[in-house]
Amino acid sequence: MSFVTRRNAPAFLALFSGPFLWILVFMIIPYVVMISVSFWTRQFPLFVPDFQWGNYAKIVLDPQYATVVLRTLKIATIVTVVSSLLAYPVAYMLVFTIRSEALSNLLYMCVIVPLWVSYLLRAYTWKIILGTNGALNSLLISVGLIKEPLSIFLYNQTAMIITLVYIFIPFMIMPLYAVLKNIPRSLVEASEDLGVGPFHTFLRVILPLSMGGLVAGMTLTFCLSFGDFVAPVLVGGPDGTMVANLLQSQFGAALNWPLGSALATLVLLLVLVVLQVSSRFDRAGQIDLR
Amino acid sequence: MSQPIVSLAGVTKAFGPFTALHDTNLQLNAGEFVTLLGPSGCGKTTTLRLIGGFEFATAGTISIEGRDVTALPPYRRPVNTVFQDYALFPHMTVEENVAYGLTVRGGAVSKQDRASRVRDALALVGLSAYGARLPGALSGGQRQRVAMARAIVKQPRVLLLDEPLSALDVKLRETMQIELKRLHRELGITFLMVTHDQNEALALSDRIVVMSQGRIVQVGAPTDLYDNPGSAYIADFIGASNLLDATFQSASDGVDVFRLGDGSLLRKARRGRETSAGLREGARVRLGIRPEHVHLAPVEGGNEIQARLAGSLFLGDRLRLELFPARSERPFFVDLHRNASSRRAPEAGETIKLYVGAEDVMCFAEPEQ
Amino acid sequence: MAFKKTAATLAVTASLLSQAATAHAGELNLLTWEGYAPDASVKPFEAASGCKVTATYVGSNDDFAAKLAAGGGVYDIITPSLDTVPMMQLAGFTQPIDVAKVKDYDGIYPEFAKAEALVAKGRIWAVPMVWGSVSIIYRPDKVPAPDSIGVLFDPKYKGRISLWDDKSAIYWTARYLGYSNIFDLSDKQLDTIKAKLIEQKSLTRKYWTSAGELTELIANGEVYVSNAWTGLTSKEVNALKKGFSVAEVTPKERAEGWMDSMMLVTGSPNTECAYKFMSFMQSPAGQCGIAQSTGYFPVNPKAVGTCMDETTRQERKVGNIDFVKSLVMWQQPKRLDKYIEVWNAVKSAP
Repeated sequence: MSFVTRRNAPAFLALFSGPFLWILVFMIIPYVVMISVSFWTRQFPLFVPDFQWGNYAKIVLDPQYATVVLRTLKIATIVTVVSSLLAYPVAYMLVFTIRSEALSNLLYMCVIVPLWVSYLLRAYTWKIILGTNGALNSLLISVGLIKEPLSIFLYNQTAMIITLVYIFIPFMIMPLYAVLKNIPRSLVEASEDLGVGPFHTFLRVILPLSMGGLVAGMTLTFCLSFGDFVAPVLVGGPDGTMVANLLQSQFGAALNWPLGSALATLVLLLVLVVLQVSSRFDRAGQIDLR
Repeated sequence: MSQPIVSLAGVTKAFGPFTALHDTNLQLNAGEFVTLLGPSGCGKTTTLRLIGGFEFATAGTISIEGRDVTALPPYRRPVNTVFQDYALFPHMTVEENVAYGLTVRGGAVSKQDRASRVRDALALVGLSAYGARLPGALSGGQRQRVAMARAIVKQPRVLLLDEPLSALDVKLRETMQIELKRLHRELGITFLMVTHDQNEALALSDRIVVMSQGRIVQVGAPTDLYDNPGSAYIADFIGASNLLDATFQSASDGVDVFRLGDGSLLRKARRGRETSAGLREGARVRLGIRPEHVHLAPVEGGNEIQARLAGSLFLGDRLRLELFPARSERPFFVDLHRNASSRRAPEAGETIKLYVGAEDVMCFAEPEQ
Repeated sequence: MAFKKTAATLAVTASLLSQAATAHAGELNLLTWEGYAPDASVKPFEAASGCKVTATYVGSNDDFAAKLAAGGGVYDIITPSLDTVPMMQLAGFTQPIDVAKVKDYDGIYPEFAKAEALVAKGRIWAVPMVWGSVSIIYRPDKVPAPDSIGVLFDPKYKGRISLWDDKSAIYWTARYLGYSNIFDLSDKQLDTIKAKLIEQKSLTRKYWTSAGELTELIANGEVYVSNAWTGLTSKEVNALKKGFSVAEVTPKERAEGWMDSMMLVTGSPNTECAYKFMSFMQSPAGQCGIAQSTGYFPVNPKAVGTCMDETTRQERKVGNIDFVKSLVMWQQPKRLDKYIEVWNAVKSAP
């Protein structure tokens, strides 16, 4: 039987036309526009409607695009891996080690609070810490490890990775915390009761059951880092250009929207692939904990 | 008697300012089915968790098979636990759950051995056909059986059961009680079960440990506890008891006489080693009478109590009468078996005569709290 | 009731807002560079003209097209540099100017007013506003006075060099390599330049994207030498008194000259205010105001006669048209897209 009968059709339309319109206006139309423009042709000083694959061909054939995409993939991957390695112990400690609920909640808030501070401000902070006359160099000089300030901390890919990890790590901790908090304590007790020590209990019970949160956190962190364009501008050096900066310059300085749209379309596809892969992992981690 | 399997000596457990268990001594013998019985917060679960290693004693010593395990973590103790919520690993199949304890270092056994032991354990709980399922696809009773199989596959000397049947519905609970009893018989190991259900405790246990407010108040076989409860509390908790406030009047050859609130006298025959020593005339006591020991027809050498009928409950095989003896505010229950009462059922408001044999009266020398 | 009250409040608010809007006879929206609309000159202009000025700022010449292409109509006047003026006109973003309506237009250096880039289809498309040069900025305590662009390619200063993140990096490299046709380079020349710039990347601490960023890089001791908009950065770094100062030098390969002029956006509803503003910018208050706030050079020597002392006039090259001739004045590269692509390729390179 159909849910939509003649009598409730108006109500049905009223209920679903809102969300549908929202999706249409803010998602479908923009994507259609973006993909259409990616087939246009740049013609000085602007661009003209067209249908040709030249923009895609250019992106594939000119090595500068592959260089940047690979660099962005590399940085996003490192940021994701480092974030998860740092975030997991923190989330684990918050949930399993700290006995006091109040203290655990307080520390969790401390992890989340930076999200309330402007992204730019947080990224800028690292510039102050890592600079030639920054806090890190001052510290190293004051403890006598170095005599002259080092310039190796700022304006390179390491600085970008540090900044991105710092900025996105709450997005890793939040889902991990939530999923770890959902694991019944009795499962850990059951494992230990069956003769399994804490380390193997972690590997065989806690880790597999927290996979969903880990995958969610890694996906978020990866996608956010992949699309970042502020860290390269603020703390990146001459070799720091990422995909988002390339996009920015195509839509800005180069005024080549068709090429920019083609690039954006390819980035979108890449992100969709990442989401697809992660949702496969995520399904494996989705287990009814009751 | 041989060495106890589990021994608690002077064990105390405090959680901050709250003491959950006070200076407790307890011994479990090989092959026994022992139940820790009491209302929630009495310390029974704490006792079980201390033995399992999930909590550590604040003072005292816990030994298992003569070895001091007080400071050992759970994974170093030769006991296994069936958890109240079963605690099955949701990401593993039934088989993997059961095999889990056999795959780790220390407990690891050969692959073949493991498979046969898992098969045996699942057969024992009647789940041979369910090995490949995930716990999420099982019913409550089936999960319970998996939890049992997972624990017994380790062949522990002691099996700890934390309210194992509390999550099941009444029908299933009764079936599982029989199942538990059978498993205990077949395995021949010690079972220590925590429950707040006195019927379950009476039905399953060799010995019952009654706990209240962090202390053991009485230990004994079910019949022992039922017939000779050590206190009015136990008398009321194990089975049902009608309590009457009374004062001690006099003692004669094998019989003590008490005066009830309305001035009438009640005679109690002494049983076994019971004495009335220490009871002075006028001492306040509480008398207990089991509902099934109250009759509507005169009993030879019995007592007579006058009571007003307040109402009745139909319980299927019997009728429970709620009465109030003169000058007593405690309800007094009487169970009438339907086939046994050829008499007409009394009506509410009516004052009727109740008869109780002198040997069926219990006396508790404790003051009103 | 509640609804009526809300409606009343809204009505009052709306009338207040419209009053605020009508307090000025008109409005004027500028898309311009930081420092080009200082309060010191905007306030008197607003008082005199009755036009409310709102300024939005750009970081590079390429921003003008990007902002207008994304939907113009918001701006009335834009102030691109010489090399970007023709493109604005070609793209149809701006309309021709009736110079008769611009007061004191005659006082502008004819070299600027009649500059080739400002003229198309027999009409004038832009009114000069301010000009300056791009030279080498350096820290004398770290770098001995350089005389060549070569200092920006010198491994001795590895990690202490900066460059403007702009296609003009190509002009600089071209001059360093001795090419004279810097706005019409061949593919082969561009390849050589690209290779040279990629090689130079390992020496570069960071490419700067705004005068503010370069100021910060030098003040924080990250960078010792760079190319810079003459006047602005040195003025600001030295004002910070960080314990060192910076100097500027014109390299022997010549410095670049630029000139920013005002263009009228197509379809602007505020042409009256726009012409008032263009006239104001040729007045003593306008010319001296912008020269003071930026450290750049006035385009109207007549106007500054009254508001600038002799020393400053010397400094700001007033009447020194020979200096203009010594510069390589910016032009729109013949193949702008190719230049931008080369610069992007340099930035993308590993």
